[in-house]
Amino acid sequence: MQLNPTEISDLIKKRIDSFEMDAEARTEGTIVSIMDGIVRIHGLSDVMSGEMIEFSNGTFGLALNLERDSVGAVVLGDYKNITEGDTAKCTGRILDVPVGPELLGRVVDSLGAPIDGKGPVETSQMGPIERQAPGVIDRQSVDEPMETGIKALDSMVPVGRGQRELIIGDRQTGKTAVAIDAIINQKGKDVKCIYVAVGQKASSVAAVVRKLEEFGAMEYTIVVAANASDPASMQYLAPYAGCAMGEYFRDRGENALIIYDDLTKQAWAYRQVSLLLRRPPGREAYPGDVFFLHSRLLERSSRVNADYVERMTNGEVKGKTGSLTAYPIIETQEGDVSAFVATNVISITDGQIFLDTDLFNSGNRPAIDAGLSVSRVGGSAQTTIIKKLGGGVRLDLAQYRELAAFSQFASDLDEGTRKQLERGERVTALMNQPQYSPLSTAELGFTLFAANEGFLDDIDVSKISAFEAAMLAHLRSDHEDFLNEINESGDYNDEIADKMRGILESFKSTSTW
Amino acid sequence: MSELTTAARPYARAVFEMAKEAGELDSWSESLGFMGAIAANEEVAKLLDTPKMAKQAGADAFIQLADGKLDEKAKNLVKTLAENNRIALLPEISALFEVLKDEAEGSVEAIVTTAKKLTKAEEKSIAAALKKRLGREVKLKVSIDKALLGGAIIQAGDLVIDGSIQGRLNKMTMAMAG
Repeated sequence: MQLNPTEISDLIKKRIDSFEMDAEARTEGTIVSIMDGIVRIHGLSDVMSGEMIEFSNGTFGLALNLERDSVGAVVLGDYKNITEGDTAKCTGRILDVPVGPELLGRVVDSLGAPIDGKGPVETSQMGPIERQAPGVIDRQSVDEPMETGIKALDSMVPVGRGQRELIIGDRQTGKTAVAIDAIINQKGKDVKCIYVAVGQKASSVAAVVRKLEEFGAMEYTIVVAANASDPASMQYLAPYAGCAMGEYFRDRGENALIIYDDLTKQAWAYRQVSLLLRRPPGREAYPGDVFFLHSRLLERSSRVNADYVERMTNGEVKGKTGSLTAYPIIETQEGDVSAFVATNVISITDGQIFLDTDLFNSGNRPAIDAGLSVSRVGGSAQTTIIKKLGGGVRLDLAQYRELAAFSQFASDLDEGTRKQLERGERVTALMNQPQYSPLSTAELGFTLFAANEGFLDDIDVSKISAFEAAMLAHLRSDHEDFLNEINESGDYNDEIADKMRGILESFKSTSTW
Repeated sequence: MSELTTAARPYARAVFEMAKEAGELDSWSESLGFMGAIAANEEVAKLLDTPKMAKQAGADAFIQLADGKLDEKAKNLVKTLAENNRIALLPEISALFEVLKDEAEGSVEAIVTTAKKLTKAEEKSIAAALKKRLGREVKLKVSIDKALLGGAIIQAGDLVIDGSIQGRLNKMTMAMAG
């Protein structure tokens, strides 16, 4: 980079001009002990709960325990240079992070500081990390779809904008993959995405960022990362920081999607901080307020009505509703969904996507268990075409599950049962989908239509994916206009059904796969 | 530090209330200061710490050290402290007593640190400004620290007003480093 001498002086001059020269009055305290990232401070009589405290080496801390004679604070950053006897000052600021569209495309830490080496983030606004969720009057019911591009989800477990849908499963079952596919599918849909990585390997986060860049998704995504080697305080705060960034978009009448990957590790980090602060441990050694930890975070993901948006933007934005959709991720051990944190989050969210290890290992990917997965918003968040066509698929799979045990006796069954089994096998094979290949509404509609109308019944199960790939290729090349038409309107009527039937019949008779 | 404050508080409160009723705040203040100084002494602290020093023996030794300067009530205080093994708390008790006394009298102690010595007029104006700001009588204590380069740092309890040149330079460094 060419250094322009005048530029540098200008920068310095600007900084000096804007520098405030007032004497500041703050309360101070002395550090009495520092241990494992927890600092006990004597003094600080005016400190507020959740206030940022500044230490003499420039790092910040968060005042969490306000006791009679001391304040317990967690250090937000490296605590190696803080010594006992140092002074700690109040800043008068409740913990806040930079928010705004300038963060899109960047990778930042829990305090909003950039960690991708692309220079400073110049935002004009700060948003508080802790904030009250919108009240009952300010909300609008969820009726717009948030498409993930994954067949099994959009047809059977549809998610709407402003909903919270939990992705739950064992390790290595494809939870992050579902989340990344959802982000990639938001390209061109004017939805801002935020991916919060809590306690993950830095290499995993780097791989995710690279994948998002590859599919052009990074330009509308913010990545907030608190990796496994970051202090527990940063891991505990990362989801709240991401939520504050998402609320900026929600409050301006825009749509945002936030993924918390994952909340299990955030609960662990919070447990560590609470135990070190000597708060009494409860079930599984979690502190008593671990439910509140997640409930207050997830309540902030909502759909807000136009009046609220108008109020929040001081009349700038009129007539638009905003939404923040959340995909929290929880990792279970051995499929135990009755563990403490898992049951907590299941009761908070508006449905769950359950990923099963056995399904994953037998080649069904995404390994979505259609029986246990549910979306409490359901049909009101689907386009008409998918709502009408998706019901058939769900029914087929439900009946197939019931009869699956009998599939070993396939030759001894009656015609009707055998037909159901065969249909179920084909639909299951159809629900498989490779990573990073989202389907649009129209393409999904065609796929479901083919399944419902029996176009798959005479195709061998092992050739279903080949058939589907060929069909999609054919549609994308020869019937792009019709696809766009369906995508725009989302309608479904007899006319469209007939047209689809015609296209599929001609495709089947003329092509190979 | 804070654990000692918690332990010393009930004693300081008790002595304060007693002193207030009897109207003997100043004499108690002096007495406590004296006792605190003795207890803070290293040799005395070591002596009181030895397990062999049975509680009352420790109290008696302490009273002897005070060389007759303690009145009856002060001696009783020492004996009460000895029963709970808390003689070492006397410096904290004295400090807390001062805080309570200042609060009752509506005055607060402020420490003004400057790079150069202040004139009487300057001291008076600082005291007046502080009185307006804090709403109480201000007892000014002055100290010199050349490292400040100029301006002053005023400390009143936990409140610190940093108007020194060194402080502003530090702030500027932080702001530049961005």
